[in-house]
Amino acid sequence: MAFVEQLISNLLYGAILGSVYGLATMGLSLIFGVLRIVNVGHGAFIMVGAFIAYWMFILYGIPPLISLFLAIAVGMAIGLAIYMLVVKRLVDAPELASLLAMFAIGIFIEEFAKQIWGADYVGYSWEIGGVSMLFTEVPFTKLLAFASSIVIAAVVYVWFRKTKIGKAVRAVVEDREGATTCGIDVSRIYALSFSLGIGLTVLSGVLVTLFTPVGINVYMGGEYTLKAFVIAVLGGLASPWGAFYAGFIFGLIENGSYTLLGLIPGVEPFGLTRFLSSVVLMLVLLVKPTGLLGGE
Amino acid sequence: MVKNRWLLVAILVVSTALILGCAQEQQPTTPSGEGKVETLYFGAPISLSGKFAEEGKASLEGMKIAAKWINDHGGIKVGDVTYNIEIKAYDDESKKENVQSLIERLATVDNVKFILAPYSSGLTLAAAPIAEKYQVLLNSHGGASDYIFEQGYYYVVQTLSPASRYQTGFLDMVKAKDPDAKRLALVYEDGEFSRAVHEAAREYAKQLGFEIVYEKTYPAGATDLSPILNELKAANPDVLIGGGHFADGQLLAKQLAELKIDLKAISILVAPTFTSFYEALGNKAEGIAGPAQWEVGVKYSPEAAEKLGIEWYGPTQEEFLSAYKEAMGEEPPYQAAEAAAAVLSYAKAIEKAQSLDPAKVREAMNDLEFMSIYGVWKIDPETGKQIGHEMVIIQWQNGEKKIVWPESAANAEPCYPMPTWDEKEGGATCGS
Repeated sequence: MAFVEQLISNLLYGAILGSVYGLATMGLSLIFGVLRIVNVGHGAFIMVGAFIAYWMFILYGIPPLISLFLAIAVGMAIGLAIYMLVVKRLVDAPELASLLAMFAIGIFIEEFAKQIWGADYVGYSWEIGGVSMLFTEVPFTKLLAFASSIVIAAVVYVWFRKTKIGKAVRAVVEDREGATTCGIDVSRIYALSFSLGIGLTVLSGVLVTLFTPVGINVYMGGEYTLKAFVIAVLGGLASPWGAFYAGFIFGLIENGSYTLLGLIPGVEPFGLTRFLSSVVLMLVLLVKPTGLLGGE
Repeated sequence: MVKNRWLLVAILVVSTALILGCAQEQQPTTPSGEGKVETLYFGAPISLSGKFAEEGKASLEGMKIAAKWINDHGGIKVGDVTYNIEIKAYDDESKKENVQSLIERLATVDNVKFILAPYSSGLTLAAAPIAEKYQVLLNSHGGASDYIFEQGYYYVVQTLSPASRYQTGFLDMVKAKDPDAKRLALVYEDGEFSRAVHEAAREYAKQLGFEIVYEKTYPAGATDLSPILNELKAANPDVLIGGGHFADGQLLAKQLAELKIDLKAISILVAPTFTSFYEALGNKAEGIAGPAQWEVGVKYSPEAAEKLGIEWYGPTQEEFLSAYKEAMGEEPPYQAAEAAAAVLSYAKAIEKAQSLDPAKVREAMNDLEFMSIYGVWKIDPETGKQIGHEMVIIQWQNGEKKIVWPESAANAEPCYPMPTWDEKEGGATCGS
């Protein structure tokens, strides 16, 4: 019985964590899908979002839910600036050039952030209580992270499907030349997508702190970059909502497998959960090389 | 042309004055009626740049304060010669390669017999074989790893507590406060340091009669510990020890609070000793304890030493604090205190050995025991490991970091059992 209870509790936390992972990967997929640029500095932007949530809360008492709006605005502005200054010149350059540029930008942002926020591990404490749910306690902050992730992902989805400009972005993803012939201003779509991708990533940093409001540090991004890459590939690199689903699955596997692996005597299950997520990734790619929603 | 000649004369005059000045300084001053006064150098390859720059600078200042105190209080007397201490420091740039060549240089070129180890376990480990080779003493004040002292080196001794003793003081404290608290759980990061700490703590706990009801590790960089903590809750422990570094320590405390896992006492490595821990957790940090090598506010004093029947040596806490603040403009971190203690231990041992021969001084260290600002100094004769010094246990009480253990260092009573999470949600703190 205890086993089932723990499995359910872990799956619940896994689902919440997964939704945050998913949203934290959408920006990466969007940028890759449209511009074919691998943002290896991804985690640095998550860190910026985390510090926005932290600062707003500590300095002005603004709850993270409101910081979400600020974060996407700041993120889009940073994204646009990086696009104008750097990425624009690299869109048609060899892929390695943009890879290195994003790597450098990531490091630059981390070091710049260190000048502002220092190298300490910080956190904030937004106490809004919690609820007993399915054999475990879940704080409302985590449920809010879960709900916001789903709502934001849904908004992005609808925007892509229903608006003219969203359709234009999808057209560019499908066929750059074709889109140009149809009168779509590709460079504008690039600017928009890059800016939105970074905006979403910075915003997800706020959600990350809703889930884990402690351990905020300028170098915290590395862990998320790594996971985002696995999730993005799992979801079919170029598909933002594929990334969202994949994040969800990743979270469930990461936490859910813990209880199952714990049944094997003599192993440390936590270390193995990562191994298992990689095995699942490999299997998915073997069956469907384009990832879960690669064809979308 | 004329102008140039005057410039030349000026330079000559100034440099002659400088040379004379230096020469005068080097001349040993001989007070009337007493023996000779000479300078004895302690070598210090220490990080003044690179990743350990902050820790290194603090350590060096600690050494200087200790050296000055010794010189102001009669120096070290060996026979009828009085030695004044000077620290010969070189910047190792936080690099292993530099440490090794600097030890070599100190031992061969500078002819230094007593070396204060570089900061960190990694650099101390690099320094140890070189010191051993040249048979000069190496005193570790910033290398806690037990591994360094399990290599069979004779000339390497330790001033700070080794990793294996980080959590043992806390267990002693729990045992003293509540002999009925038997159910112990361990949840720690899967890393070299935290493994060494907790594996030793587990064995020690068994000796004290604790029952280990749960033990699991988590990988570095974990973002959600709930799978472990859900299991932990089912094991129903009284006491928890764990943690590893900064981020995971905060996360562990946060998630214990979220999942409302009530414990009588919690000790977490590293994270709770920082002010940012309380800022991040708010009053959920109340009652959480953690080990530290030293803290501002410890009560080690000549009186405390007398009570234990141990000799006191070195500056008092107040003297040390004010000297450090004057030099650096801030309160000393523990690195300064442990480095100062290393200098004091050399002075004490040399005086005891009545010799400057490293082998004899090392032998004298075997049964040397004294207390300083940093606590008790006593080594295991076999390995050179520190066994006298105890980790101080800090605990967050009413928003302040208090020292609660050992009794000779404490400035507050332990808050035991700590308030439950529900009580804390209602605003309870330790002491309220």
